[in-house]
Amino acid sequence: MIQVSRNYPGVKALDSVDFAVRSGQVHALVGENGAGKSTLINILSGVIRPDSGKILLGGNPTDLADPVAARHLGIITVHQEAELFPTLSVAENMALTQGLPVKSGFVDWRTVNQNAKAAVTAVGADLDVHVAASQLSVAHRHMTQVAIAVQQKAKVVILDEPTSALSELESQWLFEQIAQLKAAGTGIIYISHRHEEIFELADEITVLRDGKNVWSGKKSAIDRAGLIAAMVGRTDSDKALKTKSPPDQRESGLGEKVRLQVNNLADVEGVCRGIDLRVTAGEVVGVYGLIGAGRSEFAQTLFGLKKKCSGHVVIDGTPQSIRSPQEAVRAGLAYLPEDRLRQGLCRGLSVRANAVLSSLARWSGGMATASAVRERSATQDVTRQLSVRLRSVEQAVGQLSGGNQQKVVLGRWLLTEPKVLILDEPTRGVDVGAKSEIHDLLRQLAHQGLSIVLISSELPEVIQHADRILVFRAGMISGEYDPAVTAPAEIAAAALPPLPDSLPDVETDTKSDVVHKRALPKSELGLLTLVVVLMLWLGFTTEGFFEPSSLVKLAHNTSLGVILGLAAATVIIAGGIDISVGSLLALAAVCAGITLKTEIPIGISLPLALAVACCVGALGGLLNGAISLIGHVHPIVVTLGMMSVYRGLVVALRGQHDINDLPQEFTWLAVHPPSGFRGSIIFAVVVATAAYVWLAHTRSGRHLFALGASPSAARLVGISRRKMTLVAFTVGGLLIGIAGIVELARSGSMQSRLATGWELQAIAIAVIGGVSITGGRGSVLGVVLGALLLQLVQTALIRWQIRGDQMDVVIGGMILMAVLFDLFWQRHK
Amino acid sequence: MTFSDSRRKWIGRLLPWLLLCLALTMVISQVHNPRSLISVGVPWARIGALAMVMTMIILTGGIDLSVASIVSLSSMVMGVLWQQGCPVSWAALAGILAGFIAGGLNGTLVILGLSPLVATLATMAFYSGLSLWISASERITGFPPSNLTRIAGCPTEYWILGATFLVALFVTHFTRFGRWCYAIGDNPLAARCAAIPVHRTQWCLYAASGLVAGLLAVIYTMRDGAIPNVHRGIELHAIACVVVGGTLITGGRGGIPLTLLGIVIVANVDIGLSFMSSSFEFFKGEARLVMVGILLIVVAVWNEWTERDSAKLMG
Repeated sequence: MIQVSRNYPGVKALDSVDFAVRSGQVHALVGENGAGKSTLINILSGVIRPDSGKILLGGNPTDLADPVAARHLGIITVHQEAELFPTLSVAENMALTQGLPVKSGFVDWRTVNQNAKAAVTAVGADLDVHVAASQLSVAHRHMTQVAIAVQQKAKVVILDEPTSALSELESQWLFEQIAQLKAAGTGIIYISHRHEEIFELADEITVLRDGKNVWSGKKSAIDRAGLIAAMVGRTDSDKALKTKSPPDQRESGLGEKVRLQVNNLADVEGVCRGIDLRVTAGEVVGVYGLIGAGRSEFAQTLFGLKKKCSGHVVIDGTPQSIRSPQEAVRAGLAYLPEDRLRQGLCRGLSVRANAVLSSLARWSGGMATASAVRERSATQDVTRQLSVRLRSVEQAVGQLSGGNQQKVVLGRWLLTEPKVLILDEPTRGVDVGAKSEIHDLLRQLAHQGLSIVLISSELPEVIQHADRILVFRAGMISGEYDPAVTAPAEIAAAALPPLPDSLPDVETDTKSDVVHKRALPKSELGLLTLVVVLMLWLGFTTEGFFEPSSLVKLAHNTSLGVILGLAAATVIIAGGIDISVGSLLALAAVCAGITLKTEIPIGISLPLALAVACCVGALGGLLNGAISLIGHVHPIVVTLGMMSVYRGLVVALRGQHDINDLPQEFTWLAVHPPSGFRGSIIFAVVVATAAYVWLAHTRSGRHLFALGASPSAARLVGISRRKMTLVAFTVGGLLIGIAGIVELARSGSMQSRLATGWELQAIAIAVIGGVSITGGRGSVLGVVLGALLLQLVQTALIRWQIRGDQMDVVIGGMILMAVLFDLFWQRHK
Repeated sequence: MTFSDSRRKWIGRLLPWLLLCLALTMVISQVHNPRSLISVGVPWARIGALAMVMTMIILTGGIDLSVASIVSLSSMVMGVLWQQGCPVSWAALAGILAGFIAGGLNGTLVILGLSPLVATLATMAFYSGLSLWISASERITGFPPSNLTRIAGCPTEYWILGATFLVALFVTHFTRFGRWCYAIGDNPLAARCAAIPVHRTQWCLYAASGLVAGLLAVIYTMRDGAIPNVHRGIELHAIACVVVGGTLITGGRGGIPLTLLGIVIVANVDIGLSFMSSSFEFFKGEARLVMVGILLIVVAVWNEWTERDSAKLMG
C-alpha cells in the first residue's frame, strides 16, 4: 500500500519503507524513539511530503498534499499531543475538523452539539461537549479525538501511543472502540510501546529501526523476545562488542571520588519523584527511558530550569542549593538540552556567539566587558577539538549541519569547564559520522575525569557508552543495570510501562464537568457583578441616576466605546493587533464630513457619507492586514506606520475643507434634540448584534476564533490564515468607520486631532471585556460590559471631580488589572 | 550561499545609506544657515537618546511604548516638587528617580510574564494619567534659567544623545550584557537554558529606558517648564528610528550604529520636508507624517525581505 522515503539534511529519517494496512485489521508499528515512526505518521497524515515513493489508497495512487486532503480521503490521525483549539468547546472542536454545519448561512449549533453528543455517546465516553477543550484532561482529549475518528467513518485511523495517558478503564474503552472500528472495516495503524497491548490487539506487526523496515509479518510469527531483539537490533551476544574497560579508571584513581550526589530529587509538578543518583569522577552514567518517563524533567530540575520540591544535591562534597541555571553553572553543572532548535541554539547568531554564550565571564577575567578576540580564539580551540566543520567562527550557526550544530552547543558547555556534564539526547537528529564522533568525545572527556550523565532513548547508545545504566519509568528510577553483564532485553523491559494501573482519573474529571453548563463564563459574570455594583452605588449616591433620561444618556455615552471595543476585539481575537484605530477613525470621519459639505442635496449626500466612511474604514483595515501579510511584518509595526500615514491624510484633508456646522439631518443620527431620541444607541445595538451573530453564529466568525486559538491546529483543519487575517482587519476597519460616523454626528464638527490615543481606549475596552490579547478568546457581551464598566468608572470619577484627561490613570490601571488577573488565572489552571 | 542571495543581502545593507544620501541632499539643498539646524534638531536628539535604549529593548524582542508618558511623569514630578518649594536640584533628582522607578515597574511587569506590548501600553496610559493627576493638568513654568540646559554651546540633549550612544554602543557590542541581549532576542528559551539571567537583563533595560526618559524630562523642564504630555508620540518616532536603521522588530538582529543611521535618516527626512514646505505647497506638516509612516513600513518590509532569505537557508 505504501512505499515512502524521507530525507532530512544529513539524516535519513525514513528509508524506502514498505508498509501496508488492510481494512478491518490492526497493524502495529513498533520501534524505538527516533526509528522513523513519527516521520511515517506525518507523511500519512499529510503534514510532510515524502521525497520519493508513493501512497496507494484502495489501490489508487494518492497525493496527500496537506492534512486536509488526508482527512478528506479518510485518513484520520490521533496525535500523541492532541491538536485541539484550547479556547473552543469540545463540540466545536469536533465539528471544525469536518467543517461547521451551516443552515441558511448560520452555524447550526444544534446539529453541532447533537453530532458531538451522538459521537461521544456512540463511543461511550463520558464527557460534556460544552466544556472548553483546554479544561479537558489529557485522557479526555484523546477520547475526543477517537470519537471524531469514529464519527467520520474513517478508512484508516492512525493511533499514536493512544494509551500513554489513559488509565486501565479508559484503555479498555479504547480497545472496544478499536474493535468497533475494525468491525466497520477501518484499517488501523497502532503505535505503542506496550507490548501487551500490541500482542492483544494487532493482526500484523512492523518493526522500524533507523528508518528501515526490519521486520514485518503476522503477530503469530513473533514473540516478545523476538520483537525486542528486532527493535533493539542486537542479540545478547552483542555484549562482547563493548570496547571500554572500566579498570582504566580505577588505575587512574578517578573512580573513587564521588562527583555528584543527588538524593530524593523531585520537581514541583511531580513529573519525576524520589530520584537518587551518584556519579563518580570519570564515570558515564546512562539514563534510559521512554519519552515522557521524566528523564528530561529530572535533568532540568537538577539544572535549576524547573522548580524542585525536594532533594539534596552535593557536588564534590559541597552541598549546593541550585535555584537557577546560573547557580548550576557556578556549581559546575552543564546541561545539553534535548531540543537543539528550541532550547539549544540561537540560530541567527554566529558560531562564536553561540559557543561562548555560557562562559562569557571567563573571557573577560570576571569583568563586565567581553573580549571578541579571546572569544574567537576560545571558539576556534573548541571547534577544532570537536572537529566542527565550518567556514569561519563568525558564520551563522544555523547554516551548519545538524551534527555540527550539536557540537557547537556541546562546545558551549565544555567552555564552562564543568565538573558534571548532563547530556539529554546528544545524538538526536545527528548524522552517523557526527554521532560516532560525539560518542568518542564522551569517552575522551570521561577519561579526563569529567562525570557524564548520558540521557537517551536509544538503548544501544547507553549500552555501548555508559558504565552504568539507570532506567526511568513513570517519573521514577525503576532499576540500575551494568550493561556489561545485563541483556539489553532486560533493560528495555524495565523501561516499558507496567500494566496500566487504574488511576482515579475518570471519576474526578467527570465531576468537574457537571459544573460547566451553558451558564455565563466566569469572566463575564465577574464583569457583570462589577457593573451592577457600580451602578447601584452610583444610583444611591447620585440623584436621578436611575431616571430614564440619564440612563439613556449613559447608553449614549457608552455606544461609541462599544463599537470601538468590538473593532479592536475582532482583530485581537484573530491573533493580530491594530494601533491605527484612532487615526483611521479620524480619516473615516473627515471623508464623511467632506461628502456632507458638498453641494449634493442632503437626501443623497447623507447615505453617501455613511457609505464613504464605511468604505474608508474597511479599506484602511484591509490595507493594514494586507501589508502585514505580504510583507511578513508584525502588525504592530505596520499599524504604527499606518497610524501616522492616516493621521497625515486627516490633517491634509481637514486643512483644505471646513468641517464645521454639518447639516443637522446628519447630527440627528446621534441625537435628535426635539424628541430626545439618540440614534447612537441604535448604531451600537445594531453593530453589537451583527458582531454577535457574525462571531458566534457564522462559519467565518468561528474560523476567526480558531485561527487565534491555535494557528497550527487551524492549518490542520484547512482554515486559511491569509483569508481570515484579512477578514479580521477589514471588519475591524469597517467598525472603525461606523465609529467615525457616530463620533462625527455626535459632535457635529471635527478637529484634526480627533481620536488621538483612542487606540488605547479601544484595546482597553477589549481587554477589560475579557478578550485574550493572545487571541482566540472573547465575546461580544464581554466587550459591551467592558465599555459600560469604563463609562461607569468615568462617571464615578467625574463625581469625584476628576477631570476627563486624568482618566488615563484609570484606563491604564484597569488594563493592567485585567491582564494580570488573566495571567494569574491561566497560571492557576 | 548563492550569488543572488548574497547580492540581495548586499542591496539590503545599501538601502539605509541611499535613504541617507537622499535625505541629506534634501536638507542641504534647502538650508542656507546651517546653525539653524542645531535648534531644529533638538527634538530629534531627544528621540535619538530614547531610540538608543529602545534598540537594546527591541534587540531582546521587547518594546517600550511608555517612554513619552515617563517623560511627562518625571517632568511633572519635578515641576510639582519645585512648586511646593523644593530646591530645583532636588526636584530634578526626584524627577530622574521617578523615571527610573517607572521604568523599573515596566521591567517588573514584563518579568511577571506580561507581553511587553500590553504592559507598556497600559503603563503608557497609567503614567500619563498620573502626570496629569499630580499636576491637575496645569503647566508649571518659570523655572530659573539653568546653565545645565546648554553645555559648551550645544543644547544638552545632544550631549545626552552622545552619551547614550557611547554607553549603548559599548554595552551592546563590548560587554557580556550586550551578548545576552542578542541571545535573548534570538531565542529566549535557549538563552535561559544557557544560564543567562534573562529576567535581570530585561529588568535592567526597561529601568534604563525610564532613567534616560527621566533625564531628558528634567533638561526639558529646566528650559521650557513642565508641560504635561507635550511629548506624546515620541515613542513611535523612536521605534521608527530603530526599525529604519535595520534592527529587526522581532529581536536578535541589529545594533546601535544602525540606529544612529536610522535617527539621521528619519530626522533629515522630517527636517528636509519641513524646509521644503516653505517652497512647495505639497510638503506641509501633514505630508511629513505620511512620509515618516510610509518610510517606516517600506523599510520594515524591505528588511524582512532581505533577512528572510538568509533565514530560509538556515532552516
